[in-house]
Amino acid sequence: MKLDAIRGCFEGVVPGTMATASLDGTPNVSYLSQVQFVDGDHVALTYQFFNKTRANLLANPHAVLAVVDPVTAAHYRLSLEFLRTETAGPLFESMKAKLAGIASHVGMSGVFQLLGADVFRVHALEQVPGCTLPAQPERNLLSALRRTLDRIRAQRDLEQLLADTLEALAVEWDIGHAMALLYDAPGQRLYTLASRGYEVSGVGSEIALGDGVIGVAARERTPIRISHMSSEYAYNRTIRDNAQNKGLDALETAIPLPGLRQSRSQLAVPMVAADRLIGVLYVESPLDLRFTYDDEDALVALAAQLALTIHLLQSAPDTPDDGQCPAGETTRAPGEPIAVCHYPENDSVFLDDEYLIKGVAGSIFMALVRDHLESGRSEFSNRALRLDPRVRLPDLSDNLEARLLLLSRRLAERDAGVRIEKTGRGRFRLHAQRPLLLIS
Amino acid sequence: MIPAHEALPPPLFDAELAAFMQGGISLNIGSCGPDRRPSVARAFGCRIAADRRQVRMLVSSSHAAQVLAHVRATGVLAAVFSEPSTYRTVQLKGVDATVEPATPEDLAAVAACRAGFVAELEPLGYAPDMVRALLGCPDADIVAVRFTPSAAFSQTPGPDAGRALGVAS
Repeated sequence: MKLDAIRGCFEGVVPGTMATASLDGTPNVSYLSQVQFVDGDHVALTYQFFNKTRANLLANPHAVLAVVDPVTAAHYRLSLEFLRTETAGPLFESMKAKLAGIASHVGMSGVFQLLGADVFRVHALEQVPGCTLPAQPERNLLSALRRTLDRIRAQRDLEQLLADTLEALAVEWDIGHAMALLYDAPGQRLYTLASRGYEVSGVGSEIALGDGVIGVAARERTPIRISHMSSEYAYNRTIRDNAQNKGLDALETAIPLPGLRQSRSQLAVPMVAADRLIGVLYVESPLDLRFTYDDEDALVALAAQLALTIHLLQSAPDTPDDGQCPAGETTRAPGEPIAVCHYPENDSVFLDDEYLIKGVAGSIFMALVRDHLESGRSEFSNRALRLDPRVRLPDLSDNLEARLLLLSRRLAERDAGVRIEKTGRGRFRLHAQRPLLLIS
Repeated sequence: MIPAHEALPPPLFDAELAAFMQGGISLNIGSCGPDRRPSVARAFGCRIAADRRQVRMLVSSSHAAQVLAHVRATGVLAAVFSEPSTYRTVQLKGVDATVEPATPEDLAAVAACRAGFVAELEPLGYAPDMVRALLGCPDADIVAVRFTPSAAFSQTPGPDAGRALGVAS
């Protein structure tokens, strides 16, 4: 039997118990709020304060851990050897987030604090005799993963790729609340590009690297999974509250994040391709304990494929520009003009005094608007835009497609009379229903 | 049972705590072999003498085989009592533990403890069938580990964790 076969025991449903012994042979038994599966030969436990268990481990590294499968009630016993304590890094952050969720769940938020992740080698694993119930498999994640990969593998359009992925999560994985965020490296933040299962899409909303479940997953490039929600990691509530407190007087440039108000289980998985952070795939549920180790592994595999596909889309050369973008109709649309206001310090754009977008997508929009006003131009190509000095792309490998998609989705959601639509591979059109008026 | 004697120190815990420990909560015992390797097993019941100087932890001889082997070799014991709904946790230590056959009173205590634990855990969302399986064991397999508590500690998570218990007389 391998350690990865009993990970259901490590979900914290039935607390594990550990026995240690001092040098004079006095045993000590303690309950464990969290046992973390590390790999096939290692587990990690939380070091929260200096107690008898810790004193014993420092003197005598041998310990025995008893865990119970929460479904079958099968008992397992692990012979452990204490190796080291980690106080930073992916394992530590992952356990810290999980512990915060556990502490919040059991009303111990001020009590449970992670000082370190104690890593143990598992020397032996055995099932202990006792009564057991039959296992109750609910779904097959490998099959869901394969069907999802089959579906997205050949997708060459970013918008459709993300939409297909989120739909597959709902249909194949029974995960109804999900979002995909892409990473803006110079800004050190993530922006929502697609979501499913929320009242509002939240496209364009941002999370700083290191903020909440999603930001920590991105910063540490490790999955963060919480089985009981904790206010400590409740990024959406804080941001939503802050946004409300600012009121209408501030120049409101924060788009509220989507998110479940009654979120109980959360899992954020970084998308990394060729050692580069592409973004984060995030799922959540109103149920406690919804996502397991297996869900995490399956989503990590999906996120790897998703990251690679997005990376390939970004790396693909733009369609050659024949320089023959038609100037388009020069007749101006009728009606009251739409006031376009631009703040160069952060490239934020307001349409008729309402916030649209900022950053790179804002600078793209302004380049389009200026060309449209100066030369009546409506047709554009990705290639020309990428080389446009007015567009402040962080570097050539930046995901222009993602920025355009973000801008296009925001324009559609704002419904302010301007939109951009794809007219072919690497080509799109700016469409204004009313005249545009630049306010400086 | 040891007869009451004036020279004996007061018991390490009071009657309220004795009732708590016998009330159908989570029970575990640990021991240690001569090689200083520890062992741990779940206990299915507990009986405490009226004078609170003797404790019988009731375990399955197959499930707790390693702990029983250690107890027979060294006599050292740790017993932990924890109430899942409150996290109230107590640990007793002993150095004179012995393994004895279970009495009819022991078996009755196991049945009562099992029922109490099911009732304790059901409101917390644990399926009764699972809890019964967790504590499932044929009567013929039950043995008692008897010991004299030599130390008692609070182990409830929080600032008092690890504090030695005494009894206000």
